Amino acid sequence: MPGKGRCPVATEPLLVVSDLRVSYGRAQVLDGVRLAVGKGEFVTVVGANGAGKTTLLRAIMGLVPARGRVQVHGQDILPWPPHRRAELRIGYVPEGRRVFADLTVFENLQAGAYRLPGGRTALQARLDFVYGLFPRLAERRHQLAASLSGGEQQMLAVGRALMIDPVLLIIDEISMGLAPVVVDQLFRVFGDMHRQGVTILLVDQNAQKALAAADRGYVMETGRITMEGPAGELRNNPAVVEAYLQSL
Amino acid sequence: MFIPSLVNGITMGSIYALMALGLSLVYGILRILDVANAGAYTLGAYVGVTVFRLTGSWWIALVAGAAVAASLGFILQRFFYVPILASGPIIPLIASIGVFTALEEAYRLIFGPYIIEFPARVPLPDIHVAGVPVRGVQLLIILVAVVVLVGTWYVLGHTRMGLAWRATAQDAEVAQAMGIDARRVTGWNFLLGYALAAVAGVLVSINYDAVYPTMGDMPAYKMLAIIVLGGLGNPLGTIAASLLIGLVETFVAAYVGFLLPRDSIAFVALIIILLVRPQGIFTRGAVAK
Repeated sequence: MPGKGRCPVATEPLLVVSDLRVSYGRAQVLDGVRLAVGKGEFVTVVGANGAGKTTLLRAIMGLVPARGRVQVHGQDILPWPPHRRAELRIGYVPEGRRVFADLTVFENLQAGAYRLPGGRTALQARLDFVYGLFPRLAERRHQLAASLSGGEQQMLAVGRALMIDPVLLIIDEISMGLAPVVVDQLFRVFGDMHRQGVTILLVDQNAQKALAAADRGYVMETGRITMEGPAGELRNNPAVVEAYLQSL
Repeated sequence: MFIPSLVNGITMGSIYALMALGLSLVYGILRILDVANAGAYTLGAYVGVTVFRLTGSWWIALVAGAAVAASLGFILQRFFYVPILASGPIIPLIASIGVFTALEEAYRLIFGPYIIEFPARVPLPDIHVAGVPVRGVQLLIILVAVVVLVGTWYVLGHTRMGLAWRATAQDAEVAQAMGIDARRVTGWNFLLGYALAAVAGVLVSINYDAVYPTMGDMPAYKMLAIIVLGGLGNPLGTIAASLLIGLVETFVAAYVGFLLPRDSIAFVALIIILLVRPQGIFTRGAVAK
C-alpha cells in the first residue's frame, strides 16, 4: 500500500505523459508537459489559474487536440477517440461538474457505467457502491440532476466517474464553489478509493488540501512542469508555499 | 364540422410529428437547424412512387423511400455537416438551406416539374367515425405515427441507445468521456431523422395522390415553427407541438378559414407563442446552452 511521501513513481507506471503540447491558436497552453503516475499512486498537479492544469487533464481524456504521448499501461492512447478511454476504466470528473442536467440521478450514474462490462449485476453492484458512498444520491435517485444542490451535483459527478469501477480516476477542480464540509467529504472518498488501490490524478485550486491528500505532486507554471516531489516536501517547500499555499 | 376537423387535424399533426421528430433529434445533438431534412420528405415520396410503379406495393415503396432517404441523411452528416460544425451554428444552417434547394432542383431535373400521381391503395378500409368518413390512408398515417412515436418515446426513455442519445444531447464531450461514441450516435440520428421524414413524404403523397419537386417547401418552414414551439431539441415536446399545430390550423381553417390561409396559421401561432413564451411551450425551465 503506497504511503505518503514515497519516492517518485516507485511503482510500475500506469499513466505516463511525455512532451504533451496543446495550443489554442498561437497560444501554447501546454508546452511539453511530462508526468508519470504510478499504479496505486495519488498524484496532484498544483499551479495558478491558467497554468494549464485543466487543459492537461482534458488532453489526457482526448477532449482537446494535443501532440506528444499519453501512455496508459504502456499504450499510447493520444490518437484514440475520446470514448475509448472508458474501455481502460478511466473515470473522469470534469471541471464544473457537468452532470447531465435533464437526466435523473440514476440515469447519470447509468451513463457513467455505459462501458461497464458485466450487465445488470455489475451495474447494480456499482450503484450500491456509489449510493453507499453518497446516501444523498440514493435518496434523490429519481430526481433530475438539475434539481440537486451544487454539492450534490458534485457528488453525482464523482459518483458517475466511479461507476466504471475505475483503475484511474482523473479529477478536475472539485472544490470550486463548494462548502468546506462537502469538499472534506469528497476528499475522504478519494482517500478511501486510494486505499482501495485506485490510482488518482487530481487537479484542484485548493493546493493545500490536494497536497495533503496526495502521495506526490507536480507544480505547473504557464504550461510547463516546474517542480515535482513527494507531496509532503512540496508542502514545506518555501517557493511552493509562497506561490500557492500562503493565501490559504 | 367538428369531427372531420378533428380527424384531419390529427392526421396533419401525425405527419408533422413524423417530420419534426427527426429534425428535433438532429437539433438535440448537433444544435443545427437542418432544413435539408425536408428534402428527405420529398426524396421519400419520389423513391416511393418510383418503387410503387415497379412493384405495385405501397409498403415496399415506404421501406425503399425510408432506406434511400436514411442513406442520404447519413452521407450528409458524415461528409457535409460534421466537417463544418466547428464553424458555429449559422454556417451549417445556411449550408442546409443550400442543400435543400439543390435537392429540389435535382428532383426537378430527374423527375420533371410536374405533379406525379401516387395511386397506391392501402390495406386499411375507409371507415366512419361518428358518421364521418375517414379514409384508409388517413388511418394508416395515424397508425404509423402512433407506432413510430411510441417507439421513439420508448427507445429514448428506456434503452441503452436512448440513454446515449440523451447524454450526448446534453453534453457530448462528457458523454464521450463516459464511453459513449458521439459520432455513432450522430450517425444513427441522421439515419432515423431522414427515414422518418421520408415515411411522412410517402404517406402524404399517397394521401394527396401527388408528388412534386417543391412539396417539401411548406413543411420545411412549418417544421421550424414546430420544433421551436416544442422546445428546441425536446423530442416529446416536439410531438405535442406537432399535434397542436395540426389541430389548430385545421380548426382555424375550418371555422374562420376566410381570414387566413391554412399554411400561415402555424406561423401566426409561432409568433404569438414566441412573444408570450420565447423558450417554447414544452420546455422544462430554461436550460441555457
